[in-house]
Amino acid sequence: MNIFHILVKKEVKELLTRQLLVSIAAMLFIFHVIGKVVGTQNKATQARSGDVVVLDLDGSALSKNMVARLSATGYKVKTASFAGIEAALAAPEYKDDSFFLLFPAGLQKELDAGRKGGMGFYSKFTNFSASGTAGTVSKIRKTITRMNDELSVYVLGRRTPSLDADFARDPLAAREFVMVGGKLEQVSLAQALASIQSQIVFFPVAMFFIVIMAAQMVMTSVASEKENKTLETLLSSPVDRWMLVVSKLSASALIAGGLSGAYMLGMRSFMSGITGHTAAGAALPAQEALAKLGLLIAPSGYLLIGLSVLFCILCALSIAFILGVLSDSVKSIQVTIMPLMMLLMLSYILPLFIDINAAPLYVRLLLHAIPFTHAFTAPQNVLLQNNTQVIWGIVYQAAVFAVFVTLAGRLFSGELLLTLKYPFKKA
Amino acid sequence: MPIPALSAEKLGKKYGSFTAVSGLDLRIEEGEIFSLVGPNGSGKSTTLKMVSTILFPTSGRIEVFGADTVSEPEKVRKMISYLPEEAGAYKTLTGHEYLDFMASVFLRDRKQAAAAVKYGSELSGLKDKLKKKIGTYSKGMTRKLLLSRAVMIRPKLAILDEPTSGLDIINGYEVRKTIKQLAKEGITFLISSHNMLEIEFLSDRIAIIYKGQILACDTPVNLKKRFSTENLEDVFIKLAQ
Repeated sequence: MNIFHILVKKEVKELLTRQLLVSIAAMLFIFHVIGKVVGTQNKATQARSGDVVVLDLDGSALSKNMVARLSATGYKVKTASFAGIEAALAAPEYKDDSFFLLFPAGLQKELDAGRKGGMGFYSKFTNFSASGTAGTVSKIRKTITRMNDELSVYVLGRRTPSLDADFARDPLAAREFVMVGGKLEQVSLAQALASIQSQIVFFPVAMFFIVIMAAQMVMTSVASEKENKTLETLLSSPVDRWMLVVSKLSASALIAGGLSGAYMLGMRSFMSGITGHTAAGAALPAQEALAKLGLLIAPSGYLLIGLSVLFCILCALSIAFILGVLSDSVKSIQVTIMPLMMLLMLSYILPLFIDINAAPLYVRLLLHAIPFTHAFTAPQNVLLQNNTQVIWGIVYQAAVFAVFVTLAGRLFSGELLLTLKYPFKKA
Repeated sequence: MPIPALSAEKLGKKYGSFTAVSGLDLRIEEGEIFSLVGPNGSGKSTTLKMVSTILFPTSGRIEVFGADTVSEPEKVRKMISYLPEEAGAYKTLTGHEYLDFMASVFLRDRKQAAAAVKYGSELSGLKDKLKKKIGTYSKGMTRKLLLSRAVMIRPKLAILDEPTSGLDIINGYEVRKTIKQLAKEGITFLISSHNMLEIEFLSDRIAIIYKGQILACDTPVNLKKRFSTENLEDVFIKLAQ
């Protein structure tokens, strides 16, 4: 075994503590359990999503027909018999129901007279969970549209009996097209977005996680050597100082890679539990069109993204190494890591909310100057076929890495390593 | 004239405006046990760190067996072994793993490294405890392990900062005996200590250092004779006054 492997092995042993392994196992377990619980809960919510309590105070042929249409289109209709909606909402037999529909008395007469008919759509909060409330919102919108359609058909039928009411209501045969990077294909925007999301939804989260983990690893490695006073012995040994730097960076990258793999597994287990493997297949019918648009990442695209991620991690490691040198104890890492955290947060959060290319020049310059931004935006750029931008990003990241790793090596070769302390005070 | 194990000329070290070492001259012969004695902050540890190539002199120069510590640090590092004061060890490694790792770091030849680990294991006296993680060791056990590490590779120059700090009387005595034995085998020792009794027992020559300068340098017997005192403590007090 050569000296590099011996040093990396020692670093891995130092960093991969039992506590870390236990916390990773706990994280995987928690992700799995949460996924299962949320998934089961969602299924139960979905099973109830078609439930609607109907109070028909109109009792007309129209309202009866509309209730029948609701049942025929998948709603589980519960017919209530009360004098007013308040009584229905408060009734114990409907305590678990959240969606109520009121056909007011005189609805048909109003429409026949050419006036708008008023219907009541009532929501009752039973909880504030994200999935529950989001589901209710979409259910109400869908039901309002359906009711409106039904009433349109009724009104058109009454006014112009010779007209095909279904045709008059929906005469448009819409064909959606999407253009990406100069290529045009017939596919819906929703399908294109679903495909993009399924490929890149976890990416920034995983990236953020891996970079933070790697940075903390290398900082811990350097700071603990200083704190435990093992560094001086190592520095007086015949091992090349650069070898010490590279071995620490390699061991940290290795463990961070393993941890992020575990994290991705956990997230996958979590999402599988929630979605029941449906998300990835959302855009399957349009696969061919999406592939032609380049919205399915090709192996060469994955290679570019991989390279960008690799250099992003290397940049973070080299910067963290220098910050580790400034930390005189493992505890002080919480403070010294802040500059790196801020850069990372900027490059992670801003591109989520703004279009970098349309942003003011100073924002673009700021974001592109942060080497991590290029990795966060790499999947988007690959999907948009801006491969040149990704390649330039990688070149820039490599240059930043070269600068910081040289600085780290110089720090390790000199005495500043033992005498410099945050915030840049000499001992 | 043989090449000295260590020679320092007009050695100086400043941290900003603070002068830690000033105009220090030293010459240590091969196989000699040489001690630096002085109070806290007198410049002992800084001098040892400069000899160990981890700090650079602000002025003057140091040579270890003819190799300059600033221009030829790699050459120097192959000949030395440094034990810092209050040094620690990797807590997640076992004692044996630590010795094995350090032997591989200092000695590239596998056979030499294996022999060094065997010697270091015996020297430490930790026996079965070498299989336990260093995190479970007492301060004394850790110090014994570190001392064994420092000398197991049989360096040409061993630099020991407070070698017996944290050791009980018996273990301290054993360590001093081992140092004497190794010196007879040809290893040169540069030691720093507060413990005057230990220094008197161990050293061939002593340099008394105060405020970064050497006040006197001679054998323990000559120093006591020169200052007409019973022990080295009194020599130091007289010099410091």
